[in-house]
Amino acid sequence: MLRAAALVEKLGIPTASIVATGFLKQADLLIKGLGVPLAVGEYPGHPMVDSEDELKRKVEEILAPGLLKALTVTAPGLDAGDAEPAQGDIVFSGTFDQVQDYFYGKLWTDGLPVVPPTKSRVDAFLEFTDRNPDDVLGVLPPEGRAATLHSIAVNGVMAGCQPEYMPILIAAVEAMCDPDFRIEDAGSTPGWEPLVIVNGPIIKELDFNYGQGVMRVGRRANTSIGRFMRMFLRNICGYRIPPGAGDKGSIGQTFLVALAEDEDSARRLGWPTYAEDRGFVPGENVVTVQSVVVITPPTYSAGARAEDHAAQWAQVMGHSFTYWSHTGFKQGRWNAVIVVSPNIANVIAREWSKDDVRRYLHTHIKVTAERAAYYAGMTATPTFNLQQLVRDGVLPPEYAESDDPQRLINVIIKPEMIGILVAGDPDRNQSRGYMANQRQGPPTSRRVALPKRWKQLLKRGI
Amino acid sequence: MSSKQTNAGEPQYEVMWPLSPKATKPAAAASRIPDLNGKIVCELWDVIFRGELIYPLVREYIKARFPKSKFVEYTEFGNVYGPRERDVVAGLAAELRKRGCEAVIVGIGA
Repeated sequence: MLRAAALVEKLGIPTASIVATGFLKQADLLIKGLGVPLAVGEYPGHPMVDSEDELKRKVEEILAPGLLKALTVTAPGLDAGDAEPAQGDIVFSGTFDQVQDYFYGKLWTDGLPVVPPTKSRVDAFLEFTDRNPDDVLGVLPPEGRAATLHSIAVNGVMAGCQPEYMPILIAAVEAMCDPDFRIEDAGSTPGWEPLVIVNGPIIKELDFNYGQGVMRVGRRANTSIGRFMRMFLRNICGYRIPPGAGDKGSIGQTFLVALAEDEDSARRLGWPTYAEDRGFVPGENVVTVQSVVVITPPTYSAGARAEDHAAQWAQVMGHSFTYWSHTGFKQGRWNAVIVVSPNIANVIAREWSKDDVRRYLHTHIKVTAERAAYYAGMTATPTFNLQQLVRDGVLPPEYAESDDPQRLINVIIKPEMIGILVAGDPDRNQSRGYMANQRQGPPTSRRVALPKRWKQLLKRGI
Repeated sequence: MSSKQTNAGEPQYEVMWPLSPKATKPAAAASRIPDLNGKIVCELWDVIFRGELIYPLVREYIKARFPKSKFVEYTEFGNVYGPRERDVVAGLAAELRKRGCEAVIVGIGA
């Protein structure tokens, strides 16, 4: 919203932006990052919890006067702030504990102790890329900082990564810098978290866990790479909870450990791996990053037929997906990845392909039109209208086949929105779904670029 | 051990700045318009947070003070945060010029 305002100001047209009280600090941070002194009018509190009378009073007494002032009276320019260090500058010297206190005071940690980012440690990470440390992968909101390889290395050190994880960290940041990923929405109120999915021989080379407890902390590669993602979003983007300002996750969730596929099991079943489903060839090292806003219950399913399991997924996971699917309807897209244990995948694969599973879920998870509109109205959009979304070409025609509010519509807009990945305890019949936040953070993949001396460095490093 | 206590001989760490340089170029704000009479005010909305109620009230408030101000309502521009956001934003300059917009209200951040 403020990005549109900045664009308009640069055209020489004055703007006034409507911002609710709880978002003023975030707006201030973003305005500084955009580099344009935008004027705002405050809506006191939040419009979604006020009566119409209260809303009217607040608009007339506070918001509208504020907007009028913003359009008519020249406001002060941006505070340039204190000069910042340069990339690579040593900013502190002290003991381990003193470093922790200093970094914590600056909001540079995630609240846990960090590995001190000394020059020698950072240099060790930079050895694992053939690229220049100053290379910029993107300029990231809200603070408008450059995502440099050097910044990836520093935050990788702090998160407890090993130097040889650097190629994965680079690929993950590259994915998040893709405009389609919409990293600008990573501080939104649903509080989604990026999930790193790893495929390829690098899973075994770096000792990722892909079996029992795959999404638990405990294995260094999975855990530290997951931690890095949140550290990077805090430090380079500026998404910090209070006393910071950029992260508006209302309740939020903690970081997710990186998810690696049990590729041996997938191959034994004759199923393509998750990365192959996304167009990569066997043997390629691939990182995919996807937002996660909803995690389904651990879904147990029993039976010797494919449909026994798919029906249970439709019932249990479908229930979790259904509530939040209205946000995807408004944008015409949302995604999820289902993590299926090898023994369930084995039963399904005897009868069905992954596409068969996707088609089944597409046609068997339903919600009434009325319920979808109700959820949308509760969240942010009382004007939610399926017919209009179809007229606008956002949703397929089937969503407006009638005006009956009790008609059933598909929760999954297109079968290909669902990813399927084999991992977890091979000896238990459990699956779990990870739903992305509408169009924010769709699965975005990058090949992992290994340095020319990868094998030598790896031998030396591990 | 408290972080304030130190043991003799404990290693010292020289640590790097963990952020990265800001990379956006500052730009000045547009000149404000003290008198909105005769001016065209355009509305941009992201179609959330009850803008359907808020915008008409804001319109009414401004028109009461600047009766000759004119409004181009949000419905003319499309959702600036919807599925066509990139197209809408890319075409914004042309759309604003076409409609003679001289001031813009943007919302809603909440």
